Amino acid sequence: MSDTDTPTSVTIESARTSLWERASIVWLVPLGALLIALAIAWNHWQSRGPLIEITFSNASGIRAGETEVKFRDVTVGLVEHLTLESDMENVTAEVRLEKEVAQYVDDGAVFWVIRPEVTTRGVSGLDTVLSGVFIEGDWDSTIGEAKFAFDGLETAPLLSPGEEGLRLTMRAVGEDGLSGDSPILYRGIEVGAVGPSRIGNDGSTVLADAVIFAPYDKLITSTTRFWNASGFSLSFGPEGASVDFDTISTLIAGGITFDTAASGGLPAKDGDRYDLFDDETEARASLFSRAEGPEFELTLVFDDNVSGLRPDAPVELSGLRVGRITNLTGLVDPDRFGDNRVRLLATMALQPERLGLGEDGMDPIEFLQESVADGMRARLTNASLLTGGLKVDLVTLQDAPAATLDLDAEPYPVFPTAPPELTDVAATAEDMFNRVNNLPIEQLLQSAIDFLNGATSLIANEDTQSTPKDIRDLLGDIRGLVGSDQVQAVPEQLSTLLTQLGGVATELNDTLKQVNEAQMVATLSDTLVSLQGTVERANASIDGVPQLVERVDGVIAKLETVPIDQLTVDLSELLKAVDRLIDTPQARQLPADLSQTLTEVAAVLRDLREGGTVANVNTTLQSASDAADAVARATDELPSLVDRLGTLISQAQATLTGYDGNSQINRDARTALRALTEAMRAIDGLARTIERKPNSLILGR
Amino acid sequence: MSDHPHIPSARSRGMLACTRCGAVWSIEAEGEKCGRCGHTLHSRDTKSVQKVWAWWFAGVMAYIPANLEPMLKTRTLVMESEATIVEGAFELIHHGDIPVALIILIASVGIPVAKFAAIAYLAFSVTRQAKMSSHRRQHLYELVEYIGRWSMIDVFVVAILSALVQLNAAAQISPGPAALTFALSVIFTMLSAQSFDSRMIWDTDTAPTDPSKKEAPLERH
Repeated sequence: MSDTDTPTSVTIESARTSLWERASIVWLVPLGALLIALAIAWNHWQSRGPLIEITFSNASGIRAGETEVKFRDVTVGLVEHLTLESDMENVTAEVRLEKEVAQYVDDGAVFWVIRPEVTTRGVSGLDTVLSGVFIEGDWDSTIGEAKFAFDGLETAPLLSPGEEGLRLTMRAVGEDGLSGDSPILYRGIEVGAVGPSRIGNDGSTVLADAVIFAPYDKLITSTTRFWNASGFSLSFGPEGASVDFDTISTLIAGGITFDTAASGGLPAKDGDRYDLFDDETEARASLFSRAEGPEFELTLVFDDNVSGLRPDAPVELSGLRVGRITNLTGLVDPDRFGDNRVRLLATMALQPERLGLGEDGMDPIEFLQESVADGMRARLTNASLLTGGLKVDLVTLQDAPAATLDLDAEPYPVFPTAPPELTDVAATAEDMFNRVNNLPIEQLLQSAIDFLNGATSLIANEDTQSTPKDIRDLLGDIRGLVGSDQVQAVPEQLSTLLTQLGGVATELNDTLKQVNEAQMVATLSDTLVSLQGTVERANASIDGVPQLVERVDGVIAKLETVPIDQLTVDLSELLKAVDRLIDTPQARQLPADLSQTLTEVAAVLRDLREGGTVANVNTTLQSASDAADAVARATDELPSLVDRLGTLISQAQATLTGYDGNSQINRDARTALRALTEAMRAIDGLARTIERKPNSLILGR
Repeated sequence: MSDHPHIPSARSRGMLACTRCGAVWSIEAEGEKCGRCGHTLHSRDTKSVQKVWAWWFAGVMAYIPANLEPMLKTRTLVMESEATIVEGAFELIHHGDIPVALIILIASVGIPVAKFAAIAYLAFSVTRQAKMSSHRRQHLYELVEYIGRWSMIDVFVVAILSALVQLNAAAQISPGPAALTFALSVIFTMLSAQSFDSRMIWDTDTAPTDPSKKEAPLERH
């Protein structure tokens, strides 16, 4: 600075002092701080894990810098950034994982967000209400290839981290479908869970993932059947009505239960698929109706949308059932078929074992490919003529157009089809119905109605209604009459009487014959002539002759009063009446008792006829007729006889008159005359009776 | 440069004072022990500026994490939050509590940053020509010394809150790593200010530092 200044050695020396001597000890402080900072930074960087990206469709609750990633409730990472993907579809969370666990986060790792949830099965994630959501991760304990991008799950997996279990797929085959997020119960114990349900690839089945927790997974075998537990069942029985509840959660959300009905099934493996049935009955029935072994499914597209094919319809090969139809749906695909027609899309499940393709056999797809090349086609045929149900027949058609098994089709390979071979049951039935329809049923019915109307009016008629009663009364009377002992005795008496009458007539006839033939009349006439003289002589003297004659008249009159003719007439009338009665149509239609009665009557009559009465009567009448003839012949002479007798009597009377009344002769003569007179009177009366009513005797049978 | 008339310093008169007991010794006693109190005698602390810079750097280093790391960790029943100093202040502004926010911002950001700047300026000014007068620089130095203790206000707030709000489950406030580094930063800054030998402010204003060049200031003047 100034020229007087000379550099001092001190300053030079001081400038030469070493840096260490000049440097302050305080410099150690910033150096130490720097070292510490560097050490911290190095340590931090060294221990920092990788950054992974987890993609969620919904990032609700996730916050950058706050939301943690936990594995079995231990924090293993932190969300550092939350960004929207460029397509605005999803949210990506960038998570800084801890280095120690990062190596385990490989391809099998899954992530999902734990949020507070209130479901029918309970409340979960309640702690996240206060602390905020966190991301739960699950991975296995093996170190795999590192992966840095993951798709987050929408919901928590069915098996919680650390839980062992059997993972299954449920497929609802019934109409009830499958209610997701429901428990699987076994004898009331929750042994598993069903995840959210989804529609299967074929568009008609409902699928859901399910797990059976260990150790209950031992219960599941290939013979296990699952069905919907409805929650409660209502049944009526002799003990009354009973309502069975399962658990409240099944009542609200539904549930699934199962049973292993048959022993000997193979243990289930992860990923096995089980059908879910509507109810227990169906589930148990399926155990025996379906053969064991896996099914493989094919799609059938039928051009004709024929009604009648139903799910579970059989698929037959040469009459042997090899599978079934599992699903039916319509299909409209203008791109594929070139029109907008609705086609029938059927899903067919074949059982390779039924085809004879066991596990050791050839690949079923190969077999089918060869078969299709040989002309095998699926064809709709009638399963039942009555119900109109259809089945699918696998037939080999020689003239089938070339086709192949479309293995690329989704979801199942497409099996070619042939036009259906259907018996037109409907047409036949229609023809039959037409013919039935053409029957004159209406006229027939009209006639029937008319007839019934006539019958009704006839029956309703009081006369008609009273007729049976009258008939019944009449028959009752007749039966009573016929049944009475008197009437029963009549034929006998009649017979006896007629026999006697016959005897009398015969005797009379004989007498008359004798009288006639033995010139008795002549003799008598002579006698009478002689008598006449006597009588004439006596007549004068005998005054009592008129009285005698009167007495004779009376005797004859008495004889006349014998009611043979009347009896005969009565009998005849009765018989006629009976005859008419029997001849009437009404009588023929009378019921059995009437018939019985008539049989009795007929029997009576037969008895009457066969009992000899009629014959006797005939004989008698014949005799009577003969007698009458004889009488008639005799009668012709009777007037003269009578005249002569009269004369005789007169003479006798005169004669007798000539005698004194007390003389012996007179008395004898009178007695003789009286007897004679009586005889004459009788003869006279008989002759007159016969003359008067000859027909009655003859007509009286 | 200086408006003041020449004022001789002890050094220019060949003397030095013990900085502990104030005993005056000859300038030759430089580097020796004080005969009264045993303190090492220095006419000027030649390592003063080094110490200033060393503490200054340490303070700045500590100040960086003090602003990046969270100062307060607040955990309540429903949430857990961490806030750095600036975040906390802006949160207060967001809630409308602007005066408190300003106090925090000034005490925790404004003052430390100003101190760093002031100390750096003073340290520079003793080795280079400074535009500011020696008086102002002395005032600045005193201000820095005086105000340095108030920088701890933020640390005190944290300490008081942490002690008061310990309701276990319901709410809890605990100091974050920034509290420690901030306190360190303040301490380092204070040490830095204390390390500054304020006598050097006046050396440029007075005679040449060497007694053999006692006329030099006059010549320059």
